Formats: sequence, structure tokens, C-alpha cells
Amino acid sequence: MGGKVSCTLGEVTNRADFIIFWGGNPAECHPRHFTKYSLTPKGRFVPDGRKGRTAVLVDIRETPSAKAADIFLQLRPSKDFEVLTTLRALIKDQRVDPAAVAETGLTLEQLQDLVDRMKKARFGAMFFGMGLSMTRGKHMNSGALLNLAAEMNAFTKFVCMPMRGHGNVTGADVVLRYTTGYPFGVNLSRGYPRYNPGEFSTVDLLVRGDNDAAFILGADPGATMPQPAIEHLASIPTIVLDPKVTHTSRLSRVHITTAVTGVSAPGTAYRMDEIPLPLAPALRSPYPTDEEVVRRIRRAVARRPAWQPVDENVRSAIA
Amino acid sequence: MSPTTLRVTGGRVYDPANGVDGAVRDIAIRDGKIVDSVDGGRTIDASGMVIFPGGVDVHSHVAGAALNFARGLTPENYRAARRFLHAPGRRQGLGGITPTTFATGYLYAGMGWTTVNEAAMPVLTARHTHEELHEVPIIDKSTLVLMANNEFVLDLLEAGETERARHVVAWLIWAAKAYGVKAVNPGGVNAWKWGRNARVLHEPVYGYETLTPATIIEGLAAIVDDLGLPHPVHLHCNNLGIPGNVETTIETMKILEGRRAHLAHLQFHAYGGDDWGTMRSAAVEVAEAFNANPNLTTDAGAVLFGDSVTLTADGPWQHLLYQLTGRKWANLDVENETGCGIVPYVYKDRSLVNAVQWATGLELMLLIDDPWRVHLTTDHPNGGCFWRYPEIIRLLMDAEFRKEQLRQIAPKARERIVLGDLDREYTLSDIAVVTAAGPARALGLTEKGHLGVGADADVTIYPGTPDGDGILFSYPRYVLKGGEVVVEEGDVRAVTEGKEFIVHPPSDEGTAEYLRPLFEKAYTMSFANYPVEIERVKGADVRPLH
Repeated sequence: MGGKVSCTLGEVTNRADFIIFWGGNPAECHPRHFTKYSLTPKGRFVPDGRKGRTAVLVDIRETPSAKAADIFLQLRPSKDFEVLTTLRALIKDQRVDPAAVAETGLTLEQLQDLVDRMKKARFGAMFFGMGLSMTRGKHMNSGALLNLAAEMNAFTKFVCMPMRGHGNVTGADVVLRYTTGYPFGVNLSRGYPRYNPGEFSTVDLLVRGDNDAAFILGADPGATMPQPAIEHLASIPTIVLDPKVTHTSRLSRVHITTAVTGVSAPGTAYRMDEIPLPLAPALRSPYPTDEEVVRRIRRAVARRPAWQPVDENVRSAIA
Repeated sequence: MSPTTLRVTGGRVYDPANGVDGAVRDIAIRDGKIVDSVDGGRTIDASGMVIFPGGVDVHSHVAGAALNFARGLTPENYRAARRFLHAPGRRQGLGGITPTTFATGYLYAGMGWTTVNEAAMPVLTARHTHEELHEVPIIDKSTLVLMANNEFVLDLLEAGETERARHVVAWLIWAAKAYGVKAVNPGGVNAWKWGRNARVLHEPVYGYETLTPATIIEGLAAIVDDLGLPHPVHLHCNNLGIPGNVETTIETMKILEGRRAHLAHLQFHAYGGDDWGTMRSAAVEVAEAFNANPNLTTDAGAVLFGDSVTLTADGPWQHLLYQLTGRKWANLDVENETGCGIVPYVYKDRSLVNAVQWATGLELMLLIDDPWRVHLTTDHPNGGCFWRYPEIIRLLMDAEFRKEQLRQIAPKARERIVLGDLDREYTLSDIAVVTAAGPARALGLTEKGHLGVGADADVTIYPGTPDGDGILFSYPRYVLKGGEVVVEEGDVRAVTEGKEFIVHPPSDEGTAEYLRPLFEKAYTMSFANYPVEIERVKGADVRPLH
């Protein structure tokens, strides 16, 4: 149980003949996804491009992405987990209750047809969006879809991945993992990493008012987080690094304008499939890069006495 | 300021590369190198202690996209992990089964190992692997780039264009800024992209007309030899982990006759029997064949009981392991190049299969005659964590202790192994060979693994008597890396930056232009962004070819 059976996007381009988008609207949210990776491009083993692929969209409403799909399955809100559990039963030829299926807004025939097509695929790929992962059931929903993909490998090749977004969020996740072991929700206050989503994740800390300062880089929680979190940010020393003035800048004590990464600052961005892409700046900026600002702050902090007792041998060895 | 000169006096020195076997010698160090003598500087009194060359790990998974995937997959493992507290000059981190980058450096150095070879890197994510390695402090590092399922290379081998294949391999090595070539389940990882495997060495790989695992193995071994890479092709054979795979392993040795090659984690390739119920150790057959093939080196890939995370480019094997365990499974196929699977696993002493695996690793190390050709590894984290190496050292050195341990394992397993009949005990000199001198030689790192004049001053000084658990090698008293005292009295005292060894084999000037149109069809990023810029490899040390 659990895990993630996935691939880089080029594998989808080159091989996938059956693609399911679940709880996402790539036509509007990831507008290049269809044309660069998942639907229209010709691949080594999909020489006909779009004609060589079957696309399914599963969502609660008919978004513009439905036009790009061959099959649109509209389920009732908050029934994703039930549908996924039914599919996991159907692929194993287990009995399901038609009455329970009816409550999902889909029919048993529709789901059986989907399962038949999935099993006939040579290479199936599933992509899911926040319509699955951030609605009722949350990570249970994502887990059910990821498990369905894993279990499909008993019949044919299947992969599954989230449609991640928001700049370099994947890069932040990658770097936190190799430096602390954990992808997000990391607490370093004891001098070593601890992890507990729901306790140490940003929104929870802010709503509880646990933190007495905030340093915000490449994010705009003032625009997206719940009101109590925003109120707490406004009540404490909040520092924002951003190329532009954001909602969070307006409630912060300090806003430092930085160069735009990828335009006037170099670096590395991670694609949603965790491929690192180098960023080469095309322009020069009068503003410092995020990295430079963080380094300067770090140097200033390092000049202050350590907060914890330090072995004198260690101190002298480092000095 | 680090001292530029240092003397270590009065210790018993084990330096098998230079024929020194426990003689009391002084070691002089100047500017990071071992020299004849020095005047002044710090003197470490090592009287009563034993002195080894810094350990060299020939096969370990310490950085890269796959390991980082494993970290994310198993946060629960970190709860019980050793904690590394933030301190001035030292970064926070966690040890455990898949240690974080900084912790990896502290743990290896703390154990007395100073050079590590990361054994599996795709070109496509090499940039990331180097970023991680840069944050592994103290130790020196090298990487092997995955090549036995790269479709550009396979297509050329199928077409019989071996010369072009050589240029492409050379170009890809430099694009990845790698040190050597890794071959994992040749053809099988590629077939896994259609949910299949390559089980038979002389049958065509799925999707190809004539190309077989055997032709891939032969082709890559020849290319690596022709390019004169310091380390031979590093081969993870087909049928890893599967009962009866002894036949594949011995056939692979035949295919490699007349070529240099390193067979990775041999334990996982030395099983007899037909299925899980009849599985037995085939260490006797494998060791016999290996002893007769002096062109080969290998590493143990030993298994220790307890928690692990299995992590390999061998995607089809990991799917099988997922079906066997019913536990978590991560898979990451990499376009055009390779794959990767991750499954958390527990080796249990009461399990027949696991007990056979545990014995097989030890048997191989005891049955292979020449310690120079078999290196100590656990295929970290697959067979066990690298920081448990001292446990294996004790098992190798103490036949009585081995027999005691044998009483703990599943009784049925005892009939499937020969460990109980093996009385060989490793000497301290043997241990210096399998942990340092041998792997350094296999990697072609001439200044590592020995303490002769001109060697890097990577020196590990152990107490002369075992600790309370009977383990001699758990905690070195001092570890010197490049002549600096990095570990002293069980504590990390200086955090230095290690080097990264890479090679730059020559490729025909037209290779990039040959690859560009193929790349633009097969990949989803720009060709210009594919090669890792040399500036991104911190501490890069470009090594000479043969």
C-alpha cells in the first residue's frame, strides 16, 4: 500500500496511449501540458501523436479540459474516493454494489468500460490535480489513485503523478528532502529536523500563532491563506523577498525586492517530474538575487553569539 | 588554520598495498599528502592503536533523484534515526536508512571511510546528483552513469555501430560529469517500460530484433576498456534477487572473458533453487567461477538483518518485490535512459529467504580467495546501511561469533547454506584490503587506499582493542582526511569539502550533432540544457585515462 509509481514526462510523450486526468484542468492551469508532454506530441512509440492516445477526464464539472478529452466522466462532488475504490475492486474482478456506484454519479457500465480500456492500454498515465488532492478526503484520495496505478501494473504498464504548479514548489520539496529528510512541514527548532504535517505545516503554525517571526520567499500567503493566518503574519515581524509587491508585502515589516529567477537571476528549477532545469538569465537586474540576500542575512546572523552551548573544541576548530 | 604538517607515531600500520602488515611505523603528512618525514606540526600519539588507509566504498547509493525519492517515501524511518544537531560549522540532519546529505558525510567520516562511489546516476538528473554530492561534506566522491538501458546506446549496439556507440558513451559520460559506467539489468530496465523484463541473456530484448543482454554487456565492457576508463564497467547482472540466478551470473562471467568488469553486489546474484521455497545459497558455485576469472572484481552486497530500503534502477525486480511484500512501492522511469524502483524492506532472521541472503554475502567474502577482488559493501541501503559495516567486519574476523549467529536464524535455512563449514577468519590486513586497498585499486584511484609516500593523507586510526560489543571498527579514535583531523574522540572536528572525481573520455567532434536530432525526438527538455556544466560540479577533479 502506498507509494508512487511514476516516470519522467518524456516517457508519457514517447509511450502513453491511455491518459487519465483526474480532478484537474490542465487546459487552463497547465496550458502547455497537453501540447508539450501528454496529448498532442508524437512520441517514439506513439507515432500518430494525439490520434494514438485515448484521453479521459474525470472531474465534477465540465471544464475546458473536457473538450480535449475523448471521454469525460462527471462524478458528484466528494465521490472521488468511492469511485477510485470501486475501480480498484473492478480491476481485480471483485464484486461491487451497483447502488453504491450509483451514488457517485457514474454507472457501473461506465466504470467497467474504463477498466476494460485501462487493461487494454500498453502504457497508461494518470495525472491528478487539486480537485482530487485538496477536496474532501484529501491525501486519502491521492493515495487511492496512486494505489490504483500501482495495482494496474499487475496487468499492464501504468504510472501516476500529481500536476504540481506554483513556480519551483517541486524544487523546494526536493531540497528539503535531501537536507532534512522531509519534503515540507519541517520544524528545526530543536536543532534537528522534525516532521508533522498538520502540526508543523505553515498554515497550522500561523493559525495557532506559534511563530514569532516569518521569512517568506517565493510565496504569497497573504493572498491564499485563511484569515487567522494572515492576521498572525501582520502581527509579527514578517520579511518578504519577492520581485514584486505582493499581498504579503503589504502586511509585512520588510519587503526586499529581488531579481526575477530565470529572467535576471540564475538557478535551478525542478519540473513536476523532478527533472532539474538550469535557468540562464537573459537580463541583468539592479536587484540582488534571492540567494544573495539570504546569504547576507545568514552572514549577519552568524556574527551573533550561538543560541546553544557549543563545545569549545568545536568552536576553535571551526574558527 | 589547518596544520600543514602532522605526524602519527607509534601505531601498528596496516597498509597492504605497500606490504605493511601491522608493523609499528610513523606516518608523516604534509599539505594533505603522505611524505617521508616532516619537522614540527602536531603529533598524534597512536601507540597501541591500529592505523588503516581511509575506507573506500566502491558501491553505495548516497545521493541522487532515486535516493531522494526514497527519503520522501519513508519519513517514518527518520523517527528512530540518529539526529545531527545544528552547530556552528555543522549542519543539521538525520541518519537512519537513507541519511540526509550532511549526515551522510558525517557518518561515513565518523566510521573512517573517506571515499564513496555513488553507483547509479542518470544523465538526465545528473545535475541534481552533483548538487546533492556537493552537500555531502568531508568525503571524496565519484559517480557512475547508467548506460545499459539508454536507447541511443542500445539502438547503436543493435545496429552494430560500435564505434559510434563508443563516441556516444564518451559524450554521455562527460555530459553527466561521471567517473564511470554502470550497467543495470542490461535490457531489462528498458523492457520494464512496457512492463516486461530481460530474463535470458541470449534472447533479444523486448522491442529489439537482435540485441540481447549479452550483446549489451559485451558491448559496454569493450567500450569502457577502449575508452580507458579508470574503473571497468560496473555491472548489476540480470535476474537480481531471483532464486536460481546463479546460472545467469556464471554465464555473465563467461560473456565477460577477456574483459575487465566489476560485478556489483554479488550476494544478490548467487542463489540456487527454483523458487522462494527451494531457494539456497549458490555462493560455492559463484565463488568458484569468480576465482577462475581474474579479470573481474566484485563487491559483497551483504545483507544484515533489520530494516532497509531497497533502491535500484532494476524496475521490474522492484515491482516483483512490491508484489511479494505488499508494502509501499515507488517507481520512476527516466525517459530514454533508465528506470528506478524503491521498496522498503525488512530482513528477518526467521525468514528462510532472508537468512539465506545473510549467509550468502558472508560466504562469498569467505570463499573468494583473493581479498583484493572482493570489496566490503551492503549495496547501501539495499542490504543494510553503510554505517553497519563494522558488524560485517566482526562476522568476517570471528568464526566462533559467526557460528553463534547461525543458531539464531531460521533452522531450515541452515541446510541451504555452507556458512557453518567455513572456518576462515579475516586478518586485520584482509580487512584493510576489502575496505580500502582493494576498492581503491578497482576504482583506479591510485592515491587512495594506501599509506605510501604520495598517497592522499586519508588515514583512520582505530583503538587497538574491540569495544564492549566486540566490535573493533565502530568508532575510530581519529580520522584524517586530506591531512586534516576531521574526527577525533568520536566527534566531527572539522568539516572539509571533498572532491568529486570525474573523467573526460574523448568523443568524436560530430557526436553532439549526431545526438541533437535524436535527443529532440526522445526528450522533453532542450539539448543545450542536457549536459551538466562543469562549474556545477564543485571540487571537480578530472582524472587521467589509461
